[in-house]
Amino acid sequence: MRWILSFLLLGLLAVVQAASSSGNKLLVVLEELAEKSKYSKYLGDLEARGFEITFESPKSDKVALFELGARAYDHLLILPAKSKGLGPQLTPKLLLDFINAGGNILLTLSSSTPTQSALISLLLELDIHLPTDRTALVVDHFNYDTISAAEQHDVVLLPRPDAVRSDLKNFFKGAGKGGEAIAFPRGVGQTLGNNSPLLTPLLRAPRTAYSYNPKDDVEGVEDPFAVGQQLSLITTMQARNSARFTVIGSSEMLEDAWFGAKVQRSQGLSGAAASKEIKTSNQEFAKEVTGWTFNEIGVLKVGKIEHHLNEGEAADQVINPKIYRVKNDITYKIELSEYQWDRWVAFNPEAGDDLQLEFSMLSPFHRLPLKLIYTTTNSTIWTTSFKAPDQHGIFNFKVNYKRPFLSNIEEKNTVTVRHFAHDEWPRSWVISGAWPWISGIAVTVVGWTAFVALWLWSKPVPLKLTTSGKKVV
Amino acid sequence: MAPKRSAREPTPSSATTAQISSTGAGSVPVVPSSKKAASANQSPQDIALGIWKNYLDATPQRTKLIDVFMSFLVVVGVLQFVYCVIAGNYPFNAFLSGFSATVGQFVLTASLRIQTNVENKAEFSSVSPERAFADYVFGSLILHFFCVNFIN
Repeated sequence: MRWILSFLLLGLLAVVQAASSSGNKLLVVLEELAEKSKYSKYLGDLEARGFEITFESPKSDKVALFELGARAYDHLLILPAKSKGLGPQLTPKLLLDFINAGGNILLTLSSSTPTQSALISLLLELDIHLPTDRTALVVDHFNYDTISAAEQHDVVLLPRPDAVRSDLKNFFKGAGKGGEAIAFPRGVGQTLGNNSPLLTPLLRAPRTAYSYNPKDDVEGVEDPFAVGQQLSLITTMQARNSARFTVIGSSEMLEDAWFGAKVQRSQGLSGAAASKEIKTSNQEFAKEVTGWTFNEIGVLKVGKIEHHLNEGEAADQVINPKIYRVKNDITYKIELSEYQWDRWVAFNPEAGDDLQLEFSMLSPFHRLPLKLIYTTTNSTIWTTSFKAPDQHGIFNFKVNYKRPFLSNIEEKNTVTVRHFAHDEWPRSWVISGAWPWISGIAVTVVGWTAFVALWLWSKPVPLKLTTSGKKVV
Repeated sequence: MAPKRSAREPTPSSATTAQISSTGAGSVPVVPSSKKAASANQSPQDIALGIWKNYLDATPQRTKLIDVFMSFLVVVGVLQFVYCVIAGNYPFNAFLSGFSATVGQFVLTASLRIQTNVENKAEFSSVSPERAFADYVFGSLILHFFCVNFIN
């Protein structure tokens, strides 16, 4: 009863805030407050979703990610600055500390302002690589906007991204109708290292795109930094603590000028005629990317976890006992919710994706799919039943669910599994295989009784005779 | 009670030994017959028969009774072991207790035979046959208790 109440309270709180699932304090770092007007639509959207925005210049003394050792903001948005450095308050170490403390960072790059070396080394730390030419930008001669970049071809038009894998939820597909265009003007492409499992490219460049530096304008580009889908235009990193870090290659795509601007796709690779003018869906897409980064979507929460014996009467079973016996039948239940913009809803993974329970001592003895049994208004309840292995020790119920774009779930509940007590073994006569040996004992005992009776009944040998008998030998 | 039990004993030899032993008490000193058997050339059958005859003649009735019981234990033990080899040893504790009941009983009976044999009188001068039998009963009861406990 109490937990239902707390859920209600939590829901009320969510309605009041109607923002991110992890707080609404947002720090926007931009060099001059006058630049605010360039992003007025974007920042207006953020404010409308309930974020409390603080604007600071990187040069100002008041910029501080931490206050008295605790995180001062929940989210950080860094817009490109023309200055050479970002100051002592935004060093790569402090930014990483911010991520480790659970803060989310949205970093925007621009090819017109060279990226600060502090940010480059932060990105390197996360295995995200930027072109060595600081003014390099992404061009595509097949997918450019004919209205604004007929000559330069540096405004790349992209469709909405597909899911990284077919069994993953796609948070960035918009209405899912297709035919939309995202304008990516004069952006910086990134390449990703292979070693980090935490990185996921959100938006990849089209196959015909490449990165080049307009400053050294020569005939043809030799040895480009990266080409085609190697280039990640928007990169995400979700740390182990589920803190999120997103790099948007082009800050310009968040500007008012591109929110709803008219664009026209150039002639495609297929040779089809240029399509008609359409409005960019930058505004919706920026909302989704920002919402994901600031924990407004794709956040999972574990509700109640329940495990109990699955034997005998259901009424007299203890919930979440500390101890089980080997070969006990056990049932496990877990409740999951997903945050969606302003409230918790029932979580359902994409088709083909499985939620699994491990029953493990060092290594898993069972790894079982969890089945959906019940859906409430704001959660789903998953269950599985199994027989404890014939091995005593300290075991964990472990749900380890880590997917790109979903916050990590790693739930461990430790229980003891004991061996059979002396009086819990089946009696010998219950096991039909033991009957021959039971009768073996019975025959031995009966024979022994008969022998003792005969012995007592028979006459002892007279002592005199034995002595004489011995003499003979 | 006791005679009835003996009639139920599966080996007919026990009945005959009982009959013979009633007279056998007097015929213990017939040992010379073995000397006589060794003197002449005889077929193996005759030799075996001679040994058997000599055993029947020279052994006290209680020792014969012990021998019958011991051979009975051997048969029961072998049967259990063969069953285990053929049908498998599940549940193993049942096999262990069933088999060790016969083996243990065999060992205890063998020691009773050694202690009560008239020919070992000199070695066990301090142990009377009655004392040996009481020890035997005590040991056997402990063995049976253990086996029944172990088979659960």
